Amino acid sequence: MKGRKVAVQLQPTICIVGSGPSGCYLAQFLLKQWPESQIVIVDRLDHPYGLALYGVAPDHHGTRAVTKQFDRLWLNPNVKFVGNIEVGRDLELAELQANFDIVVLATGLHQDRKLSIVGGSLPGVVGAGRVTRLINAHPHEPFADFAVGQSLVIVGQGNVAIDIVRLSLSDPAKLSEIGVPASVIDALRGKAIQHISVVGRSSCELAKFDAAMIKELAQLSGVSFSAHNLEEPASHESKSAKVAAVRDLVESSPANATVSVDFYFGWQPSEISGDKSVEVIRFTSLTQPNETLELKADTVITAIGFEENDAALIRRAQLVDAQSNIEAGVLSAGLYCVGWFRRGPTGTIPANRADAKMVSESILSDFENSERLGVKLGLPAVKKLQEELNS
Amino acid sequence: MSKDTVILFGTESGNAEFAAEDMATAIDRDRNVTVIDMTDFDMNDFSTDTFYVLISSTHGEGEVPSGARPFIEALNADQPDLTGVEFAVFGLGDSTYEHYSRGSEIIEEKLRALGASRVGVYGRHDASDGSLPNDAAVEWVKELVSTL
Repeated sequence: MKGRKVAVQLQPTICIVGSGPSGCYLAQFLLKQWPESQIVIVDRLDHPYGLALYGVAPDHHGTRAVTKQFDRLWLNPNVKFVGNIEVGRDLELAELQANFDIVVLATGLHQDRKLSIVGGSLPGVVGAGRVTRLINAHPHEPFADFAVGQSLVIVGQGNVAIDIVRLSLSDPAKLSEIGVPASVIDALRGKAIQHISVVGRSSCELAKFDAAMIKELAQLSGVSFSAHNLEEPASHESKSAKVAAVRDLVESSPANATVSVDFYFGWQPSEISGDKSVEVIRFTSLTQPNETLELKADTVITAIGFEENDAALIRRAQLVDAQSNIEAGVLSAGLYCVGWFRRGPTGTIPANRADAKMVSESILSDFENSERLGVKLGLPAVKKLQEELNS
Repeated sequence: MSKDTVILFGTESGNAEFAAEDMATAIDRDRNVTVIDMTDFDMNDFSTDTFYVLISSTHGEGEVPSGARPFIEALNADQPDLTGVEFAVFGLGDSTYEHYSRGSEIIEEKLRALGASRVGVYGRHDASDGSLPNDAAVEWVKELVSTL
């Protein structure tokens, strides 16, 4: 059986910034080797788990169950969660570094990647991350202007795009049951939504969604599905599970549907136009030269990934220097990074578990036989954390 | 004197590992129990003197989780003779999806094909209600060892 045995008896003080999956998995892995270590996980929200709560569809209970795994962290008297702390605003990163042996940044990337085309910021264009936060009742997500009309175009074909299709067309009573706020259910259903188009750059075979997500759409009632450019004209009999799943979905569509959903493969968005808000979105074909696609839409949801927040107070680029080894999660002596903040916005919760495991091994090897552990007092030495913990 | 027990877990998001640890704690009073990640298991360590408890989740289209992939690949490549090896299985899955709990079945079928024999009730947990498998797995393993 493998598994590193750490020779030192010293137990470190560790501060993890960000309590999403990467931060929580990292705490789990570090505790296995340093069961008596002091671990403080801080978050800008007043409760933990980040994207595991606000980025996962609320009807995917199995995926969310991971938070129950993390709940057990807090039963350990040496592990503390301190919420309402934004590093860079409430206290400086340097203060954490001065008082903890090990500081790890696990703040993720949560801003929707912007659609940089003409009209990309017209009213009616909304990021999928924002919609997912609204659906999950994120405390910092202002509701204001979001409401889907009759025609919705979703740009992007990852699992988040498919989540939006499913949640937009799910029974409102079911959404209510799983905690989606009533105002958001109304906004999602729109003025009797009639049409959803899901448009992506890839072919169906290379689309980023999982076939299981497409199969799940078959459970929606009263929805008919169509697919355009399902396969490249040149391609032979496809063995792709994704193509098969989309084809099954289309073929089993009911005749008496009230809503239609169209998948378009191989299109790149070129322009959004409208008088005061979105009216039309145009695409150019990536497979047939000079072909264009024009879709009427009163709402465009972009599901094209995430990027660093414009207002982010901690930026990886500012912390990287010649001594850094991002591949191993090392920013500088005693300062590490993990998860999306380390490697960018790709991969789901299991990928961040693997990332956390790798970074925990990197930390353990840096401190193997080190006498620099347990030197800094950690939590008792940081007034701001103490205050928040006792408030 | 009961056989030594090895709990082998195959995981994607850590739930199977977590349940494996809880199972070990629940039965380690009367027996020697080790928890091992399938990824780290050496085929040459299979022994008829050890009782194996396998716990695995299901990934994607009814596949084994990434943590069990090296294990299955090694079984396929080495084709070890597992005659006389006894094991029990607990499968994790989500009945919302097609291929519910299929991941553990792939492993179970492979081990039996190589001569090992499965004993006890095939345990399962359905995560479609958002629950963790730990409680069900602990109840199952206690029942299992009481009948051995």
